[in-house]
Amino acid sequence: MTKEDIKSLARLARLQFDDDEAERFISEMDEIIAFADAVNLEVEGDTSTVKLEGEALPYEKLRADETQPSFPNEKILSGVEGEDGYFTVKRIIK
Amino acid sequence: MREMVAGLEIHVELSTASKIFCSCSTEFGAKPNTHCCPVCTGQPGALPVLNRAVVEYAIKAGLALNCEINRRTHLDRKNYFYPDLPKAYQISQYDEPLCAGGYIELKSGKRIRLKRIHIEEDAGKLIHERGYTYIDYNRGGVPLIEIVSLPDISSSAEAREFVEKLQLIMRYIGVSDCKMQEGSLRCDVNISVKDGEGPLGVHTEIKNLNSVAYMASAMDYEFRRQCEVIDAGKKVEKATLRYDVSSGETLPMRTKEDENDYRYFPEPDVPPVEIGDALVSEIEGSLPELPMVKINRYINDFGIRPQSAELICRYHKVAGFVEDAVSCGANAKNAVNMTLGTIFSTLNTEEDKENFDIKVSPAGFAALIKLYDEGKINSGAASSALMKMLETGKGVEDFIKPGDMKTLSDDELSEICRKALEENEDAVREIKNGKVKAMGAILGGVARAAKGKADMKKAEELIKKFIYE
Amino acid sequence: MKAVISKLSGMLKSGKISSSELAEKYIDAVKRDNAKYNAYVNETFDEARKSAKEADARLARGEGGPLCGMPYALKDNICTDGIETTCCSNILRGFRPYYSATVHEKLSACGAVLLGKTNMDEFAMGSTSETSCYGAPLNPRDSSRVTGGSSGGSAAAVAANLAPFALGSDTGGSIRQPACFCGVVGFKPTYGAVSRYGLIAYASSLDQIGPLASSVSDAAIVYDAIKGKDPKDMSSEEVSLSATSLSGDVKGLKIGMVKEYFDCLNPEMAARIEEVARLYEKAGAKIVSLGMPTLSRALPAYYIIACAEASSNLGRYDGIRYGVRCKNYSDADELMTRTRSEGFGKEVQKRIMLGTYVLSAGYYDAYYKKACAVRARVREEFDAVFGACDVLFAPVSPTSAFELGYAQRNVIETYQSDLYTVPVNIAGLPSISVPCGKDKKGLPIGMQIIGDRFADEKVLSAAYFLEQNEAFCEDDEEGGVAL
Repeated sequence: MTKEDIKSLARLARLQFDDDEAERFISEMDEIIAFADAVNLEVEGDTSTVKLEGEALPYEKLRADETQPSFPNEKILSGVEGEDGYFTVKRIIK
Repeated sequence: MREMVAGLEIHVELSTASKIFCSCSTEFGAKPNTHCCPVCTGQPGALPVLNRAVVEYAIKAGLALNCEINRRTHLDRKNYFYPDLPKAYQISQYDEPLCAGGYIELKSGKRIRLKRIHIEEDAGKLIHERGYTYIDYNRGGVPLIEIVSLPDISSSAEAREFVEKLQLIMRYIGVSDCKMQEGSLRCDVNISVKDGEGPLGVHTEIKNLNSVAYMASAMDYEFRRQCEVIDAGKKVEKATLRYDVSSGETLPMRTKEDENDYRYFPEPDVPPVEIGDALVSEIEGSLPELPMVKINRYINDFGIRPQSAELICRYHKVAGFVEDAVSCGANAKNAVNMTLGTIFSTLNTEEDKENFDIKVSPAGFAALIKLYDEGKINSGAASSALMKMLETGKGVEDFIKPGDMKTLSDDELSEICRKALEENEDAVREIKNGKVKAMGAILGGVARAAKGKADMKKAEELIKKFIYE
Repeated sequence: MKAVISKLSGMLKSGKISSSELAEKYIDAVKRDNAKYNAYVNETFDEARKSAKEADARLARGEGGPLCGMPYALKDNICTDGIETTCCSNILRGFRPYYSATVHEKLSACGAVLLGKTNMDEFAMGSTSETSCYGAPLNPRDSSRVTGGSSGGSAAAVAANLAPFALGSDTGGSIRQPACFCGVVGFKPTYGAVSRYGLIAYASSLDQIGPLASSVSDAAIVYDAIKGKDPKDMSSEEVSLSATSLSGDVKGLKIGMVKEYFDCLNPEMAARIEEVARLYEKAGAKIVSLGMPTLSRALPAYYIIACAEASSNLGRYDGIRYGVRCKNYSDADELMTRTRSEGFGKEVQKRIMLGTYVLSAGYYDAYYKKACAVRARVREEFDAVFGACDVLFAPVSPTSAFELGYAQRNVIETYQSDLYTVPVNIAGLPSISVPCGKDKKGLPIGMQIIGDRFADEKVLSAAYFLEQNEAFCEDDEEGGVAL
């Protein structure tokens, strides 16, 4: 992994590392990836089609289309700042 | 010879009562963040619970668009960060969509093939104002289907017809109101230029087109622009564009190079869904008559003109109203004409016609038409009575007095006809010379004099008799 | 092993002690001893007194089951309405959910009395609980050592008698390993047997809530109260169990010993498990030797899948709707990026990075997809194994409790120490970690009894046999509430 790899990966994950941190991170990531690489060893047979785990749920068992009361706006906004019923942040799209 | 090659990606909001993964209402226009809960605002620990009706509606749409319904389907996470996306992933479908294949047939007989239809959740809404961004998650979790066509479209007119047909079908089967102005139908276009027998050019994508007219102009503009780029000896570059309504141009959107790495993987919180053959047959059986079939039936059975049939069938409720009136005994042709004439004159907007919220019942309408069919009232009286019925919601008997229905006696009618002949000597001469059209002037005179009480068929016979005697 | 819940429940029912008095005893003990162990990170004594009063009213009417009036603790990744829930992460400091996890609602409905929230690894990512933003909890058996993790606070609270029982969550061993390190019982039920609604997700397809308690019978009582289908969790299922009448009868029980679990195990632990097996054999059980060739691949597959899901699950902590928001930002990306970089600890960031990597274009097939294939294969091998036996015996951890700080210095070795616990999560199986003695250092060692999916009762019943055997049930009485 290069520093650039680390930085573009970090961007995808909305994390940031300065140069020193990224440098340190390279070896840690390399170590972890080498560890994860063991997954590729000696697996026999066809692994090309991966199906989700578990049984499929029959359609009939899905939730019926009925509304229930929503939560009060004060609760929805209780976690952070809000205004006029909206979540607000300083203007974020230029 | 250059040809436009275009494909559409259309998002249709489903009109289920509750959201796709929680029981909050999907109703449009509520106060901000009042149709919200831990699930649709992405609170920690909340889990999605799939709404059965979303699967049902999507299957309905798939069957109406001639798709194959996959008997096993699963959801995937599409990961990206944006403030309107509360979980930082959209639950969508990647490699096991609910419906595959399908097509929409245009009037020309050309089929625009579909690639797939899948289900997914909508995002919230952002409003940028006064130095702040305001976020409303009411729309977050409203169910969508995404309909993806193959690049079979070769003009903006075809695209327009495709979208209009799609809208019509969705409304008929009752899965969406497809109101572009409310965002319940949104459209992205992939477009490229094919130069003669040469290879297909690089395509650009125009995003978020929110009216059929803008879509058509954006496509035409983009096609010309790509042609000009080619003419200038340059290469068209892959780009994501938006359509600027004020300038009529397509402009590049600000994108970052990683933005397309969505890191799809199977949604672990929603098990795959198994769809039985019985369910598919049941839904297929419940589908209403689709608009194209209905139009043909109207032309053949009612003997009306194709344009009239199309106009009536454009609005599902209007077609239903006319059919109900016919089954109450109204003459189909008269019912269609009176609907397109008198009733439509009171419905100004497309939305009014779509909603078709009128005060007259099909039975009441049929009662009026029957009086007209039987010649008991003429068209003028019928029309003015209908206007009053539409205004007040009262029945035909309140506006057609017994006196109105009593036609003139034969003697009275003969008298009026003779007078009309005297007043229109020129017309009489023309008729004698073979210009049958001139009859209209004489009949007009009769009608005026009779004040709507004449049996006009009888009047015409009398006049002919008098002229040729 | 002591049946704390049944004993206390008997006292409550007979009126020997009231729920309020019992709650005060535990409150006093927590006030006195928690500083020593750092087991609780948030105490809810006022709420506890209130619910104890309500429980007393029910008990007075002769109502209530075995958990009515019973104090307990919840791992801090389980949402509690109006009570701070942080996952021991700075990014969720001050976060008070306005809804409760289904397990909390169920226990409240039983009349159980919440004493507080327990310490854990940040977002349950770790094997020692040292990545907690509140500092590590300490092992009540030896306070120079870790509790294990990630449900370290829950294990410590039970081990130090600061709660009759606690709930934890297990994604790759996070209930069983700390239970083992602290010498208590930890039960990870079948995936889907207990609702995950309100459990702050680490890796959704692996996470499972379960009890930590002083005995198998206690764990069974708690499991019975929290299990079952929840309309809010699509992966949950109805399960049948008569937890209160565990037989402990092992006659004819087929016990599988999978070779790969013992290949590199230190001889002291292997010998201990052998000894336990012989005890079962004497009581009429049969020992079957089996093999699972893909077992060793389960560990890398686990880390790939867990980190992939985590990278997606933790995307929502962007500073917009809840939790901490960074101070200065000029656009959406900066708001999110700075909030996340400042709020998440190092281990969490590392796992998000690994998860992002294995899902990103070009690496998906080599890592994520491969890991899913390995997962499917491990499941198949377990299916085959359970065709030949009823339960498996297996170690919990290659070692007893680490010294504090050891894990940070030996990252990969610590990851590797999860090798015995993760296969169970990969396959969604039930497994219980029970103490089976002490090693030369005097530290508790434990073993797993693993069952087939939804064979939770079989697992509990098999484990119940062991706790009735004196030789394996040394009680460590020190501190906390004396019983």
